[in-house]
This record gives sequence, structure tokens and C-alpha cells, in this order.
Amino acid sequence: MFPRILWKLLGASRGRLTVALIALTSGAAICSALLNVNLDAERKLTQEFRTLGANVIVAPPAAGGDAGLLDSAVVDRIEGLHIAEIAGAAPYLYVAANSGSQPVILAGTWFDQVATMNSWWKVEGRWVFSRGDHEHCLVGFNAARLLGLAPGSSLQLRSGDRNLALTVAGIVTTGGAEDNQILTNLDSAQSLAGLAGRASLIQVSVAGTASEIEGVTRKLAEALPRLDVRPVRQIAAAQGTILERIRGLIFWTVALILVLSMLAVLASMAALAMERRKDVGLMKALGGTVPRIMRLFLAEAGLLGAAGGLLGFLIGVLLARWTGERIFGVVISARLEVLPVTIALTIGVALAGAFPLRLLGRVRPADILRGE
Amino acid sequence: MMASLVRVEQLDKRFGDVRALDRVSFEVDAGEWIAIMGPSGSGKTTLINILGGLDHPTSGRVIVDGLEIGSLGERELTRFRADKIGFVFQQFHLVPYLTAVENVMLAQYFHSITDEKEAAEALARVGLSDRLSHVPAELSGGEQQRVAIARALINNPKVILADEPTGNLDEANEAVVLKLLRDLHDAGHTILVVTHSQAIGNLADRRIELEHGRLARISAPSLAKAKE
Repeated sequence: MFPRILWKLLGASRGRLTVALIALTSGAAICSALLNVNLDAERKLTQEFRTLGANVIVAPPAAGGDAGLLDSAVVDRIEGLHIAEIAGAAPYLYVAANSGSQPVILAGTWFDQVATMNSWWKVEGRWVFSRGDHEHCLVGFNAARLLGLAPGSSLQLRSGDRNLALTVAGIVTTGGAEDNQILTNLDSAQSLAGLAGRASLIQVSVAGTASEIEGVTRKLAEALPRLDVRPVRQIAAAQGTILERIRGLIFWTVALILVLSMLAVLASMAALAMERRKDVGLMKALGGTVPRIMRLFLAEAGLLGAAGGLLGFLIGVLLARWTGERIFGVVISARLEVLPVTIALTIGVALAGAFPLRLLGRVRPADILRGE
Repeated sequence: MMASLVRVEQLDKRFGDVRALDRVSFEVDAGEWIAIMGPSGSGKTTLINILGGLDHPTSGRVIVDGLEIGSLGERELTRFRADKIGFVFQQFHLVPYLTAVENVMLAQYFHSITDEKEAAEALARVGLSDRLSHVPAELSGGEQQRVAIARALINNPKVILADEPTGNLDEANEAVVLKLLRDLHDAGHTILVVTHSQAIGNLADRRIELEHGRLARISAPSLAKAKE
């Protein structure tokens, strides 16, 4: 009889229950989408962070000799370690040079790695992608303004008695130190400085969370004991902070959505409770105990919550996929572990929203049957 | 000597300053048909609500089948209603979204276990075997009241309490319901009926008349008729 009455209850109040179901489904859909995004966010954001440049620096020891330089072949040793998290590594040699009478910093590097590690750099003109390109350079935005350079301009650099002729391929804006530098091929910079095979430092881009970056740093430090290997702490910390903030944002948004859904359910259930006073009065008069009657209403709310949770989960998966494509440019796949969480949360919200129905337990049958 | 099925002693019921029942005392034997009569506001419905465990007395004692109602807690009162009492109301009070048979089964459900066959038989006894799957809105007033009577009887209650059972019925349906009550009485059921109707009052074994909450008189119309 219990399922029979329950079914009839659902049918009899389908108008108000549909409103409650829509509220629950909407809330569950957003929660499901956010939870799906949250579970994938770390992985997706980590991928995104990979494009934010180097987050580990390999440099000569602070008290080392040889004017604080290292062997540029160290990069080959790093590549030889085959650490999966390393997305790129580029040696840098910084040379003090002059363009006419204007002192400039020339940074010699591997353009192919720089392009991979710093895809977010804004370039006016064109990138230089080839490690073997000895003719072109990228000029930092501030340096270009100072020297009056534009894409296609010729540039003559001098360091001591050595000269280097380059053509400007592009003007680069990075928001960092590179804006004041001229970037060219590593070999060209080494030739100009007379420091063949030497580098000032190696920038390494590691994909992963702050702890994964720390792990790679440790591995590199073990493999390169005479060098100073250190994470760029601001970047690693910023990645961690962003992830934490996103998690916090998702948590509070989910909480807010659940509260709003509960209020909507509460409004529907309050109206429903008024409609059901007579039924409850009658059921009590017929010998129905409060727990037995309430079990009917709570089962109804629970069923509504389960249905809302299931529907919401399915809609949420689509929403998460859409969000993933729009924000991360990747497909966020459905996480099945979100399903029970969404259903449990929605049932909880439905039961909390059914509070007015619980108050029906206080109905006095004599008052109801008198017509009050 | 057999103990009374219902014993009311010095029953008082107040609603704030209003004294709905004022030191009412009477007894009802098993198998009796009692008509509770009196003008509006005389306390008839209050009396029947207390007898049925729907309301608490302010003072005095009400004993039904050996249970003193005033001493029962809310849970025990609910059990008392399920086990001992069958209600028939003027407004029928059927659950609108349940069919006739489901309305009868609802009383079974709160009493013990449901038995659809037994519920259908109860409806057949009140002449509604062809209306089992009809919801109240599809039934006439008389048919709804017969469903209510079938529901009142389904758990074999000790006492049937009917509050103006024909108050909302036309003459033809009133006759049908009265016949049912008479049949129940003949079958040995104890019936207390609140009524304004002299016709019902005359069918009862005894009439308990209330005025301003007080017991005005107890008469036995059937005995009077026998003397005539």
C-alpha cells in the first residue's frame, strides 16, 4: 500500500511537485557541472599552466667560477633524464651588447623551445621557430621602442670587438624581463660574447601541481649535483593558489545553489502542506501515526530528490562539457563519482525543503475534521 | 453483570472560557444504537470527538472498552482510534486522489496490513462493488458516504461514531445510509450517531440529548414505541 499511496500522492500534486522537481534539477545540474569541472579542473589547469613559461631554473652555483656560467650541454643531460613532466627546457645566455651607443641585453636561446614554453607571448610581426635561424631576432617591446625598431628592421650589435647583424622578425610583449631584451639564436649570442658552449641558466617548464613541480626539482637537483636547481616559487605558488581559489569558488557556489534550490522547494512544499492538512488530519483520525504519515511525505521528497539528482547529473554533464570546451578548450568527460554525490546532495536538499510537510505532524485531527 | 462498553463520568470540556461539555455522564452497552441529539453548539460533536480519541477531556473520565481515554498519550490515542473506533463524518472525508477501494485500504494500512479483496468485499456489502476504482469526485454523495461506512467497518471496530452521517445527503441516499446503519445495529455493532434528524433519533435504542453542553435527558424512543 505504501508505494501505491506514494504514487497517488505524486500524481495528485504533480503541479507543485513539478515546480519542486525543476528547482531540484536545476540546482543538481549546476552542482553536477561544477563538481565535474572541479574534478577535472586541476588536470586542465595544469595543462594551461604549462603554457605560462618556465617554473624551474637551473643555474650555476651562486659561488661558482667561470663568471657564473654553465655548460649549455646540461640541457641535453636534462632531456636525457626523460622526465615526463618536463614540457620544455631552454638554455639562456645573457650578453651585454651595444646597438650603436645604446647598451642592450642580448639573450641567446633556443627559439623552438621558447615558442613551446611561452605560447602566450604576444608577437607583432612573426615568431622565430627554428633553433638554427642565425639571421633573425625577436625584440622586446621596450627595447624596440628605445631603439626605434619594427618588424623587418636591421639591427647591428657589438660586444667588444665582435659584431652581429640581425633582422627583426617580431616585437614581443611578455610582461617580463624579455620586454627589455633582444632574443636571438644561442649560437649567435655565444659567438658575439666569445663564450662558445656556455649558458647563463636553463629555464625548464614543468607540467603539474606545486608538489609535482617540487618533485621534478628534486630529481633534477639529484641529477645535476653541482648546479643550483630551484623552482620559480611565485609561479608554483600562484598555480596552487589559483587551484585553491577555484575549488573554494566551486564549493561556495555549490552551497549557494543548494540553498537556493532548497528555498524554491520549501516554497512549493509550504503550499503543498496547506493542501494536505485535511488529508493528514484524516489519516491521523484513521489511526495513522505521525512517523508513518511522515514516512510517506519524506519518501515522496526523497524520490523527488533522487529524480532531480539523476536528471540534474545528466544535464550537468552536458553543461560541464560545454563549459570545458568554452573555458579550457577541452572536453570534460563525465565523472561517475559525481552521480552519487549529486543525488545524495539533491535528496538532502529535497528533505530539508520538505520541512513544511513535517510540520503537518502537529495537525490536530479534530480541528481539521471540524473544518478549521 | 456485563460492564458497559462506553462509560462517561462527569465529562468536562472547555475551549478557553467556553464550556462545551458540562459534567456529562452516561453509559453505553455493547450493541446499543445511541442517537446524540441537541441544538447546534450543544456539544454533540465535541462529545463524539472525545469518545473517538480525537480530543482530550478537560476533566472527568471517558472509558471505552476498558481504556480510559484521558490517560492515553498521543501515540496510544492513535492506536486506540485505529483499533477501537470507526468514524463516519458528515463531510465524508475521503482522500480525493485514492479510489474507493484504496480509501478503505487506507484504514487497513494504518491498522495493520492491507487486503484489497477484503476491502472490495466491504464495499460490496454497502452496494458499491461496481465503484471500486472510482475516485470520490466520480461518486455521488450517498456513494461517498457508503465508502466512508465501509472504511469505518473494515477493521471491526468496537464502536462506530457517526457525526451527522446523512447531513449532506438527499432523501434517497439518506434512506440508503439509514438502512446500512440499521443493518449494522442488527449485526450487533455499537453505534453512536450525532444527528439533528428525528427519523434517526427514533431508530436509536436511546437518545442522549444535550443542551448548552449539559446532559438534558436520556430517552428510549424504541421503548416508547413498544409501549404505544
